[in-house]
Amino acid sequence: MGHPRVDAILEEARSAIARAGTAAELEQLRVRYLGRNGRLTTLLRTLGTLPAAERPAVGAAANAAKRELEALLRLRLEEAREVERRAARARQRLDLTLPGRRPPRGALHPLTQVQDEIVRIFVGLGFAVVEGPEVESDYFNFEALNIPRDHPARDMQDTFYLADGGPEPDTLLRTHTSPVQIRTMQAQPPPVRIICPGRVYRRDADLTHSPVFHQVEGLAVDRDVSMADLKGTLELFAREMFGPRSRIRFRPSFFPFTEPSAEVDVRCFLCEGAGCRVCKQSGWLEILGSGMVHPQVLRNVGYDPEEVTGWAFGMGVERIAMLKYGIDDIRLFYENDLRFLHQFA
Amino acid sequence: MKIPYRWLREYVDLDLTPAQAAERLIQAGIEVAAIHRLAPAMAGVVVGVIEAVERDLGESRGHRLRVCRVSTGRDRFTVVCGAPNAAPGVRAAFAPPGALLPSGRVEVATIRGVASEGMLCSERELGLGDEHEAGVLVLDADAPPGADLRAYLGLDDDILEIEITPNRADCLAVVGVARELAALTGAPFRPPEIVLKEGDEAAADLARVRIEAPDLCARFTARVVSGVSVRPSPAWLAWRLRAVGLRPISNVVDVTNYVMWELGHPLHAFDYATVTDATIVVRRARPGEQLVTLDGQTRTLRDDMLVIADPARAIGLAGVMGGADTEVTARTTRVLLEAAWFQPASIRRTARALGLRTEAAYRFERGADIEGLVDASARAAQLLAEVAGGTVARGLVDVYPAPQPRPRVRLRMARVARVLGVAPPREEARRILAALGLGVHDAGAELEVEVPSFRRDLREEDDLVEEVVRVWGYDRIPAAVAPRAVGLGAVPPTLAQAATLRRVLVGAGLTEVVTWSFSDPAYEEVLRPAGGPPPLALANPLSRDASWLRYNPLEGVLGVIATNLRRQQPDVHVFELTKTFEPAPALATEVRWLVIALTGAREPLAWWARGEGGRREAVDVYDAKGLAELALEALGVGAVATRVTPAGTIKGFEPDCRAQLVASGDVVVAEFGEVAAEVRRLWDIGAPVFAAVLPLDTIARLTPPPVRHRPLPRFPAVHRDFAFQVGALRAVSAAEIEAALREEAGPLLRRCVLFDVFTFEDGSRSLAWRLTFQADDRTLTDEEVNAIQARVGRRVAERLQITWRGA
Repeated sequence: MGHPRVDAILEEARSAIARAGTAAELEQLRVRYLGRNGRLTTLLRTLGTLPAAERPAVGAAANAAKRELEALLRLRLEEAREVERRAARARQRLDLTLPGRRPPRGALHPLTQVQDEIVRIFVGLGFAVVEGPEVESDYFNFEALNIPRDHPARDMQDTFYLADGGPEPDTLLRTHTSPVQIRTMQAQPPPVRIICPGRVYRRDADLTHSPVFHQVEGLAVDRDVSMADLKGTLELFAREMFGPRSRIRFRPSFFPFTEPSAEVDVRCFLCEGAGCRVCKQSGWLEILGSGMVHPQVLRNVGYDPEEVTGWAFGMGVERIAMLKYGIDDIRLFYENDLRFLHQFA
Repeated sequence: MKIPYRWLREYVDLDLTPAQAAERLIQAGIEVAAIHRLAPAMAGVVVGVIEAVERDLGESRGHRLRVCRVSTGRDRFTVVCGAPNAAPGVRAAFAPPGALLPSGRVEVATIRGVASEGMLCSERELGLGDEHEAGVLVLDADAPPGADLRAYLGLDDDILEIEITPNRADCLAVVGVARELAALTGAPFRPPEIVLKEGDEAAADLARVRIEAPDLCARFTARVVSGVSVRPSPAWLAWRLRAVGLRPISNVVDVTNYVMWELGHPLHAFDYATVTDATIVVRRARPGEQLVTLDGQTRTLRDDMLVIADPARAIGLAGVMGGADTEVTARTTRVLLEAAWFQPASIRRTARALGLRTEAAYRFERGADIEGLVDASARAAQLLAEVAGGTVARGLVDVYPAPQPRPRVRLRMARVARVLGVAPPREEARRILAALGLGVHDAGAELEVEVPSFRRDLREEDDLVEEVVRVWGYDRIPAAVAPRAVGLGAVPPTLAQAATLRRVLVGAGLTEVVTWSFSDPAYEEVLRPAGGPPPLALANPLSRDASWLRYNPLEGVLGVIATNLRRQQPDVHVFELTKTFEPAPALATEVRWLVIALTGAREPLAWWARGEGGRREAVDVYDAKGLAELALEALGVGAVATRVTPAGTIKGFEPDCRAQLVASGDVVVAEFGEVAAEVRRLWDIGAPVFAAVLPLDTIARLTPPPVRHRPLPRFPAVHRDFAFQVGALRAVSAAEIEAALREEAGPLLRRCVLFDVFTFEDGSRSLAWRLTFQADDRTLTDEEVNAIQARVGRRVAERLQITWRGA
């Protein structure tokens, strides 16, 4: 236990620490008792002058007292600092209703967001993403896709040609992402499963047509690829893109590079088929064109249509973004008004 | 194409409403864009007979007002009428009191003291057309008095607006759509019955036909109808043509148009007397040969265009438009009727070259029916005899040098199942194909299908698969994802790179923009670098200001900044992932760029924003540089040096405020600076703009070093600050000082950060760095670091001739 000489110092220090109010006062007390010339330090330094019999007891008591005071000071110092911070906050007139200090907020373009989402879904289904050139040849954009020159099907896509001379211009801005199908199939044997996002061009400009727009093309060629598989895949896509209650329907159509061909409608996700302004009361929204790859297209790339079959689809990114966000003027995407873009952040 | 529903039902027994029929067609791939009532705003208007025209009430708006006595057979009415063509005996459209017109209900009105009981109506008043000045709508002399006008004119009908895809030329006809509906509903199909009474004279004795270009004209037939009397068509014919949007011209011309709409085959009637030697020659035009077409235009022809000629001259542009010289007129008494088949691509080229997109060309370029034209000719001859009173010469002059066989295509039911994933029973497939007018024969387990001449779009087996499923129903195809081998959903490095940049830059507060790829040639002088590749121009741009492809990556973002400034958004911090285009031996070289552009304040208006009294700090060139560095770091491009140069590959920066970031020795990985005032002027941008441009293809070729873990330091670090003063006349850059510091500091240096820059009034600068020293194997002593500090400070100052201001 203690020792009278030590106990006296300890008692005095305890009451002084209890009375101290600020960190500065506590620091002074630390120096007074525990500093280089502090009272306990001095006592320990002069142990040698004590009778040998007293030394161990005094030494042990002094060391214990030192540990106690150190702990006590640390505790009180923390308390004193908290008190001081509280006082400082009061002085600052803290007002937690002030707006927060925010890092700047950027935004991805809505077309990027929609395109990324489409691509993400198909990458998840094991499709490889492939890109192709925007300046294309007539062959890849039309001929190889079963759209010969002087065919009325060319009226379906009004084309920008490059001024490269010659009465039959050969270089053009691709009118769809379908040339990527041809490039990919020419470069590799089946099976093929690709998704091709990209920028396309048509000579057309109004509320719903932009001369520059974006498409995502999908292609699957393998031994057992059927229209039922196309329908199943697109239904998976629609549920992921437009919600788990989505339904799709196929309508016959005509594209020179697919046979049979289908327009695909998704049940209006706003009215769930009841009919509304967006779906023009039909309950359905036309979202993409698709079909089984035309045997002639397969032959054009050196595939044997008896060996493999394929399906393909193409959808407009702007169209889907317009439906998804309720936008009725396609030009908004290309004006890039910050007030528009930040609505999709 | 407009199809009147009643007309359609003449050929197919349907108990569907027009809307139901339209829905059935849509489900089978025939798009019906709209259904509308032919004359919805008129009711109660009847055929009236003007029995007498009595008193004149004086003039009103340029017309004499007269009192007419009108009979509807049962009742008599007194009507005040200003029409100049109201005359005794005329039968005209009459709206008795209570009838409904587009302008409202007709009531008894007192006009100049006379009670007028109803209205004699013009086309315009009936809502049937634009004609008004000529007077009331005059009807045929045999129009039954009192008959309902809508029923009499066949206007009590619905019009289906059908949009036919390019493969279905057969549906550019009322009969074609009827055949389709018959197949879809199982209702009987009744094509028009052609009853042709021929005279004694043989057509072959009256006309000769010679085809000199059999590659462009596979078949040409002629009939001759004599003794015709050319006059306006009877009401049923004229109004049926109006209902489908064609203008009635004369009974002869109207018959050819009627048959075109009914059967789909374009026909042409020549005035027989004007055809030299009654001889038709089908040949290529002579280069520069001229022809005045029916529209009165003189056309100069090319030698790849096909003409119908007589021995003297061209008399028609084959399949596109007839010639003016041989047009049927009121004096015509004998008609030579052409029904022919022309090569589709040739027709399309000719029509496009001359800008003549006629109904005839539209059908021929989609492929006309080479066998069906015989019926079309007979049908037209029959109607000509009926409505123009002619006698049809015996026989058809038919030149068909190489008759085309009907293709036979095999259909395997196994193929149907393979392509669709499901198949109807064989008997159902058989029924569908037969109902579509195809010849179906059994060939073992397969079906052998003979394709008629009106369905030349059916060339191979999968075309038949589509026919079967189209009629059977696309909704019967199940949604079933086929099991398949697992593949890797790979993403190409270009897209991964773009995704990284988007993530980092949006995180840094920038907004992504997307702009068109076009360029305005008017900007060339300011935006195109001297000696750069020539721009790529469009042959057929939508407008001049979008007629080149982009060659300067800055163009898009500057347009965006201008738009936002105009719309009172002064703070614009944006980026774009864009492409420029350069000529290449094949196609074009497409170069990918990241462009960052900044203008306005750095921080939003907020109480905490730096700057005083609402005047926030503006962005400057260091913001652009910092974002470029951030982007490069995210792409793994390290050890970037700044090269200040007034030149550069990107045109559009101020020469005294531009620099390049260089990596891996000498690879330019970014250019940044202040956008030149002359560039801003192009877009009328008043505020300073700072930009950075990163060549993404170049960056993609740099392989970033693999990421390797370095152990964390085990011994404490020691910091020392170094401040240097650079005299106003000394051109020493921060980069030079920092390079010297790093060199002199030796192997214990871990970090070197420029933390303070101050420029004095006199132009001299003070720059301060904090250097961090650390050893991997021991705690550095103060003495050791003090010695390094003294040496480094002194030597850097000596080397660069600047003043070391100590710590």
